[in-house]
Formats: sequence, C-alpha cells, structure tokens
Amino acid sequence: MASRTRGWLAIAAVVATGLLLTFAVQERYHHRVLTLVFLWAAMGLAWNIISGYAGQISFGHQVFFGIGAYVTVLLVVKAGLTPWVGMVVAVGVAVLAAVLIGIPTFRLAGIYFGLATLAYPLIFRIVMDWLGYQEVAIPMKREQPGWFMQFNEPRSFDLLALGVLAATLALSRVIETSRLGYRLRAIRENEQAAEAMGVDSFRCKMAAYMLSAAPAAVVGAVYIHAILFIVTPEAVFGLLVISQTLVVSLVGGAGTLWGPLIGAALMVPVSEILDTTVGDRLPGIQGVVYGAALMLIMLYAPEGLYWRVRQAVRSRAGRGGEAARSVIVAPPADEAVASVATQTVLLQVRGVSKAFIGLQALSDVSFDVREREILGVIGPNGAGKTTLFNVLNGFLIPDRGEVRFLGQPVTGLRPSMLCARGVGRTFQVVRTFPHLTVLENVMVGAFARDAAVSRAGAAAMAALARVALADRAEAFPGGLTTLELRLMELARCLATAPRLVLLDEPLAGLSADGIDVMIAMIRRVRAGGVTVVIIEHTMQALLRLADRLIVLDQGRRLAEGAPGQVTQDPGVIEAYLGKRWLARLAAR
Amino acid sequence: MALAELVQYVATGLLVGGVYALMSIGLALIFGVMRVVNFAQGDFMMLGMYLTYFYAISGSIDPLLGALLTIPPFFVLGWIVHRGLLARVTGGGDPQRQMDAQLVLTLGLSLVITNATTMILTPTPLGIRTGYATQAFALGPVLLNQARSYAFAMALVLAAAVYVFLTRTDLGKALRASADDPEAASYQGIDVRAMHGLAFGIGIALVAAAGGLLATYYPIEPTVAGNFIVLMFVAVVLGGLGSIPGAFVGGLVIGLVQSLTLLVLPFQLQNTGVFIVFLLVLYLRPQGLFGRRARTV
Amino acid sequence: MLTIASLGVSYEGLRALVDVSLEVGAGEFVTIVGPNGAGKTTLLKAISGTVPSETGRITYLAQDLGARRPSERAALGIAHVPEGRRVFPSLTVMENLELGAYRRAAHASRKLALDEVLALFPILRERHRQLAGSLSGGEQQMLALGRGLMARPDLLLLDEPSQGLGPRIVEQIFETIDRIRRERRLTILLVEQRVVEALELCDRGYVLETGRVVLAGRREALLADARVQRAYLGA
Repeated sequence: MASRTRGWLAIAAVVATGLLLTFAVQERYHHRVLTLVFLWAAMGLAWNIISGYAGQISFGHQVFFGIGAYVTVLLVVKAGLTPWVGMVVAVGVAVLAAVLIGIPTFRLAGIYFGLATLAYPLIFRIVMDWLGYQEVAIPMKREQPGWFMQFNEPRSFDLLALGVLAATLALSRVIETSRLGYRLRAIRENEQAAEAMGVDSFRCKMAAYMLSAAPAAVVGAVYIHAILFIVTPEAVFGLLVISQTLVVSLVGGAGTLWGPLIGAALMVPVSEILDTTVGDRLPGIQGVVYGAALMLIMLYAPEGLYWRVRQAVRSRAGRGGEAARSVIVAPPADEAVASVATQTVLLQVRGVSKAFIGLQALSDVSFDVREREILGVIGPNGAGKTTLFNVLNGFLIPDRGEVRFLGQPVTGLRPSMLCARGVGRTFQVVRTFPHLTVLENVMVGAFARDAAVSRAGAAAMAALARVALADRAEAFPGGLTTLELRLMELARCLATAPRLVLLDEPLAGLSADGIDVMIAMIRRVRAGGVTVVIIEHTMQALLRLADRLIVLDQGRRLAEGAPGQVTQDPGVIEAYLGKRWLARLAAR
Repeated sequence: MALAELVQYVATGLLVGGVYALMSIGLALIFGVMRVVNFAQGDFMMLGMYLTYFYAISGSIDPLLGALLTIPPFFVLGWIVHRGLLARVTGGGDPQRQMDAQLVLTLGLSLVITNATTMILTPTPLGIRTGYATQAFALGPVLLNQARSYAFAMALVLAAAVYVFLTRTDLGKALRASADDPEAASYQGIDVRAMHGLAFGIGIALVAAAGGLLATYYPIEPTVAGNFIVLMFVAVVLGGLGSIPGAFVGGLVIGLVQSLTLLVLPFQLQNTGVFIVFLLVLYLRPQGLFGRRARTV
Repeated sequence: MLTIASLGVSYEGLRALVDVSLEVGAGEFVTIVGPNGAGKTTLLKAISGTVPSETGRITYLAQDLGARRPSERAALGIAHVPEGRRVFPSLTVMENLELGAYRRAAHASRKLALDEVLALFPILRERHRQLAGSLSGGEQQMLALGRGLMARPDLLLLDEPSQGLGPRIVEQIFETIDRIRRERRLTILLVEQRVVEALELCDRGYVLETGRVVLAGRREALLADARVQRAYLGA
C-alpha cells in the first residue's frame, strides 16, 4: 500500500521542517510563537481524534488540557516530582477522566452531547476554586532546570513541543490506518449503518475519547511549563483554550491530520503578532480574531481549508476522469425457484409487539425462518415491515415477545452484537458512508470478522467481486447509480459473513433491468448458503423470488404460506390490494 | 435555621429566577423554531444592558422603561444577524452538521461581541443608580428588594406577552407550526425562513430586555455574558429544549437552585447546584420537564 | 391548469425524476401510480417547490413556477396534503385548520371555509381543542385534508392519503375525496399506492416507474391495461 508509506513520509517531512525552523529561528519571541504553533497543532490533533474522525463535536476538550497542567504542576509543588514523570501521571488521570465523562455522556445523542461537554470544564473550574488552587505557580528549580522542564534555552521548549506534535501526529496516523480509524469514520458518516455492520459505536467512541485525552493532557503540561508558568482555572479550563482548539482544527479542516497543522500554522502566528503589536491598546484582540475566524470558516468553508482546497484540485483534475460505467451486469442463468431450504429453524419470532405514541406498529407477530430459504415479508406501506426488521436487527426493543437466533435469545441486543452473531441488514434507503470509497464502505463490514486492514481489504474486494462491482472499488458512493448503490450495500452486508440477511426493499427505485440483476444477486446469495428475509412492497417481484411469504397489515401477521397460496387469500387481497380489486377479480 | 430564613432564600431565588426565565424564553424560542443553540445569547443580553445604561445616562430613562426600549432595536438587530449569518450556514444539509456548525458560528459571534466590547468600552463595571435598588418591600418577615421585584414583575409581563403572541395571533401560530414541521408549514404558505428571522429577532429582543431589567441591580461589564449563558442553557434543557413554558419554569427553578445553594456554599460556588441539576437532567431525563422529544442512543 | 414539461429532479444524490411530462386540466382528477421509489412524492414536492428541479419547466396557470419559493406557490392556490399527513402535533385541531387558511387570499373567507370543512369532517368539530399529535391516523388524515381545503385551493395535491390506514377508514377517505371533487369541482392530482381506488376515481392517470412516465391514458384504458394489472395487481 504505497499511500501508507507516503503518509509517514509526509509526517517525517513535517517534523523535519519543524526541526529546521527550530534551528533557523533566532529571536526569543519567534521561538515562543513556534512553540505555540506546535502545541496548538498537537491540541487540535488531539481534538480531531474524537471530534474529527468520530464526528462527536466536543466543546469541552480543555478539561484534559487543564488536567495535564494542574496534575503536573501540583505534583511538582507538593511532591517535588519531576514533570517528566508527572506528565505520565497526568495522562493517566486524563484518561480516567475521559472514561468517567464518556460513559454517561456518549449515551446522549446529537446536540445534547455537545451541550454536556460545555459543562465539564465549568465544573472543573469550580472544583479547583473550591480546592483553593486559584493560582498555582511553578516553583523555580535552579539546581536541576532540565529535570523540571525549566529550560533556559528557548530552543529546548521548541524541541519539546515539536516532540509532542510528532508523537500526536504518529498517534493520529496509526489511528487513521487502523480498523478503529475506519470504524470511527463510519460512525461519523452514518452511525446506524455502522452499528448494523458490527461496529460497537459506544466502545469505539470511548476508545477515541481516551486516545484524544492523552495528548491533550501532555499539551497542557508542556504549555504550563513553556508559556504560562502559573496555573489558574480560567487559563486552562477557560473558553479561550477551546476556542483556540476549535479555530485551529476547523479552519484547517477536521477529520485529517493536515487540518490542525494548517490551522495552527496559519492562525497562531496571526493572533500572536496581533496580540503583541496592538494587544495593549486593544485588549481582547485575540478573541476577536478567533471569533471572526470561526464565523468566517463556518460561512464560507465549513469543511475547512484542507478539504476545500483538495476538492478544488480534484475537480479540476478529475473532470472527465469518470470512467465509462460498465454495462449493467447481465444476470446469470435463472436458477430453479424450487426451495433448497432445510428444516432447521434459524430465526424464531414469538409474539412480538411494539407500540409508538398513537400507533401500534406491531401486534403479536410470530413466525419462523428456516435455513437457506428466501422468506418474503410483504404488506402495504405502514404495515410495520421495517419496524419488524428494526426489532430483528436490534434497533428497537419490542414491548412484548421474543426473538431467538440459532436457538439463543437475542431480543434487545444491540445491532453490532447481532451482526457479530451473523445477522446482516440492508436499508430501505441506502445508507452509505459518503466520504469513504466503495471499497472502504465494504471494508467496514469486513472488519466485523477481521481486525487486520489488509485482510479486510481483501475480503471487501472479494465481496465486491461477488456482486460484480469490483471495478467501482475506488469510486465514491455519490457517483453511483441506484443499482450500484444497492449492490454496494449488499456487498458490505455480505462482507460481515452473515448467516441470515434482512433486506429492506432492495428493489425500490430500480428499473426492470435493475430488478432482474438484483434478483439474480439475491439468488446467488442464497446459493452461497445465506438465508434471506426480504421486505418488498410489490407482489410481483417477490413472486419470482420468495419460497414463502408472510403478509403484514397494520402490524399483524395476516397470512403465511407459498406465494401462489397467499395471493389468492381473500383477506390478503382485500387488505393489501383493496376490496375493489377483489370485486374486479370476481367480475372477470 | 429558621423557616423565615428559608422562605427568604426561596423568595429571592424566585425573584431572580423571573429574570432568568425571561432570558431563557428567548433561547428556547430560537432553538424551538430554528434548531439553533445560540451561544451568543448572553452577549446580546450584555449589549442590552449597555443600551439601557445609555438610555439612563443620556435620557434619564428609568432602566425598567429602558429595558422595554431595547426591544425594537434588538429585534431589528436579531433579524439582521439571522439574515446575514445564520441563514447562510447550512452545514451541508445534514441536520446534525447544521446544528454543530451553527453552534460554532454563534460561539464565534460570542467571542467577537465580548472581546470587541472589551476593546471599545471600558472594562470597569458600570451601574445604574435608581432609588429603588437599595429599598425593599417587607412581606411579613421576608424582605423583597424593590429593584428585583420590579424586574420580576416586568419579566412576567413580557413573558405573558410572548405567550399571548404565540397562542392567540396568526403569526405566533405560524411560528409554532414552523417549529413543529417546517416542510408542512411551507405547504400552508408560511415563509419558514422569515419565521426563523422573526424567532431570532424576538429571542434577541427578549434577552436584551432581560439584560435591561438585570441592570437595575447587577453591574454592567463586557464579560457579564459568561455568568449567565450557562444558567440559560441549563434552564432551557431543564424545561425541555424547544418548550417556551418549560424554559420559563426552568428559569424559575434555576433561580431557586442558585439561591438555595447559598445556604450551604459560598458565593463563588453558587453555580455548583446549577451544574449538578444540568448533569442530572442530561442523564436522567434529557427531554426535560416539558420536552417533546426523548433522546436516547 | 398545470403543465409539467421534461422535468428532471435529483434528490439526495440520485436521479429521482427523468424527463417527466404531464398535464392537469382545470377541473380534472388526475392520478399518478407506481411502485415505491418511483418518484411520485418527489414529483409532488417539485410542484410545491420543496425540492428544486434541475431541468424542465412547471407551469401553473400560465406562470412558470421556476424560481418561486414554496410559500409563494401555496399563495397561488396550490394546496399540498403531504405523505404521512404531517399535521402540526403541538397545535390543536382548530389551530391546524386555521393555519390552512394562512395565505392572504384565503384568510378573508376563513370562517366560511371552516364551516364547510367541519361539515365535511364532523369528527374534527368534536375534537377541535385536542392536540393534533394525539389524534388517530385516520383522524389526522382528515385533519390534513381539511387543512388543505381551508386554503380554498384551485389545485389540490394529495400524496398517498391511504398510507398506514385501515381499510374502512381508507374507504371513508376516498369517498370524501370523491365527494369533494364532485361538490367543488376542484382540480386534483392524486398520488396513490392503492391503484384500483385511485384509478377508479380519476379521469386520467399516469404510471411512474424509476422516475419516468411509462404509461398514460384515460381511466378505462389504464384499468384494462395488462401492464398495470401485472405490475401492481400481481396477476
């Protein structure tokens, strides 16, 4: 994988540039700016791990920064412990704090998460005030300055800060290229789809949060020793810290390690110079600059400069680069419709009921799914079909009833667990990870079975080959047709190596040709040993495909049996097709 | 501790809570209609305090009246800010991205307003002197500071006016409809973008008026926003994001909590109770007291 | 009254409508049927303006709807009763109905329209103070219909009024639609999944599949067409 070594080379180049600057720069003041650039870039990278890769925007990351500062300094003051060791302790405390904060807070969805993260730094400020640590100064240690991170030579602080930056870059790169990195991005793009592909989103978010807390604590510790020398709650837990972090990451671009680098290199010198030149006459100029930067970037380039430039470069180069689409795959010879189902019951549904406000979505639904059969679930819109799938898949917990898979009760397990056990799912409206390539989309599924990136890549290619989509591996979902998208989703589901797949209206939006292709693919899937449960809206398609049908109407199971049988059932015809259709049928 | 003392704390808490309630209603309206968490709400309140001070100094206008007079200019300001800034930030269509983007935008706006004000105006705290700021009504054993009492009364009047507007006028109903379902609202001929501008304008005007009322007993300085923005957020979340009556009740409760915290903790830590309430609400009942949507992962 | 020429629409990154052309004459009842994902709802949204059109033209009463915002289109006399009803849950039944007459032209005759709608749907009069969110599905559908009628529209767009409702309520709804049509001579464009009911009520119909019009014709012709029967009636 050439791009992997390229990434590391690029990082090495950045660090080398940093080294160069450290030795080229002479003035004490310029060294200070350089140190700040390195430190804020590292802080931005730390924030980026949880908020950029995973998409969980945190407005309180300065908690870990402040913990790093306070713990190291307090250990120097109270225990005479060298900050080199104190830093390690601070990291431990920060990671612990991440766990304690993360456990309750990641349960909150959407905007509530962001709001909660606002509260924690404020709480820490109050606690520090209450403990009496309104101002803790680092005691001078003239005898062993190096041992206590009190260098005389400003260059030493540059090197220290550069070291922190290099380490954080390395950490980011390792995450980016690991299974965790793919999973985090999947969570950011579409958390539900990620769960259905076996990604335990809570665990991944916690891991990312802990990994983002550690470097933030180190940055805080170094910042205090290099720049501030006195710890106050306002300085380390305050709004300016998170503002600076946000500016650096958002201006540069979140979700990439280049973003914070660009952001820091751009914004830190600007604000520092302004502060020194006009800071006396205009106190608060830094705040105005940061605020304006945040507003401008949200208005004109919310994704950040890195992505904006990359997009511009790509579209200029890539126009006309859309390779001619392969002709729609001719379906293989029609396989016999005769059922190859065994008698083994794979999935048992018993008495499942689910109500929402004002609507009984499912009422006492029971049925079995036998191994290697294709079972069709049919019914008018609003009959409860997707709700049923959401229960089977773990997205919903039924009010009553039980679901058993392979003999084990699985009611109420989260979707990632069900995926791990072998239940796969596709969605009525295709849920892609838009900023990942087709191959990377499928790899997220493959990661359910294998942690190694290269093996997952191979498994993903194999899955794509099975659905005849291998030549689109490097494309993005945005450029795919409806049929190709559905095939991609199918491949992603198959990559999780399921024993049973739940396909929710896989034919919706397809032309007649597309339907033929999809039906052939589904037959292939079953021939490969996977049991298929498929929701469809129109009878016609399922008549060709299904061994058995279950008809739902208004949340109840209306009928069950062979297709030919079910379509003749008067109750079904009336409920599904209409009483008038029955009358017409009788009149003919 | 005597019962009278407890009642005193409760009374003070409610009085103060009334003004918090007015501040929070503005925030709740903006969130309910636009799904925007306006981080700059406290800063507009601060500007409202300064305008009221200006009215008092230059026109000898009593701050209670001055607070009312902040409403028209701040409504216009709110409309302009919405048109010029918020309406242009879409975050790429995804509603979650949009909320995050607008929170960042308003955070930036807050930074600009606070720091620009610090740059331009003196950071020395200003105060408006009125005859009643140092007087108190006596209600039995309980003393009610006059300034706070008038402020409380005005806050109630304004809140009631908002309530009447939302429930009795066509425009108010259109606002509520836009909050419920913007797409369906547009099918009825409601200009949803204009509704957003209206909601933001009213929200800013309300918080500016609250600032004016606050100025009758609280010092005016550029950094005052920081003390209150958290209280507003907690009140709104406690009441249920998007619920106006909820925000009102939330404001009163926060005032109470803050006041009662002083029974056990010193003044600097008076917001501790508020934070505890915040976290409890987020973990136990994120949709708040009157909230419409429950949020669980 | 309404002419759609070569309409092309992309929705959520996919080509939802391709080269769609259709016409609705004044006083006509036209229906659009087709499978899920065919683009029927997208078509109605394009007419109302909540989804932008990429290519083609929508002309209403000889005016190009082109750049007009949704609220402006509603002001012209187009009432859209959306899929899934979309009543305003935190407002009362009465408030929902009042908002139906929000556009200025309808405002003057609001009282009259209200009386008519309540006569049509007596259950709404009974429940007029109830919050719309607490109504049953059928009641909400009636409310949504009533809300649309409050605007005294010239063109009524109905999107799958039968969705999620039991057979008896569906009967009622369709009977009411038929009655409205006959009594007020409204122009109606109906999108439905219950093909037979829709085709029986209409004057003319179009069949939409994967964003394209594949069949068009008068009512009897469509009901007799083998393709329609096979695709949707599972014959």
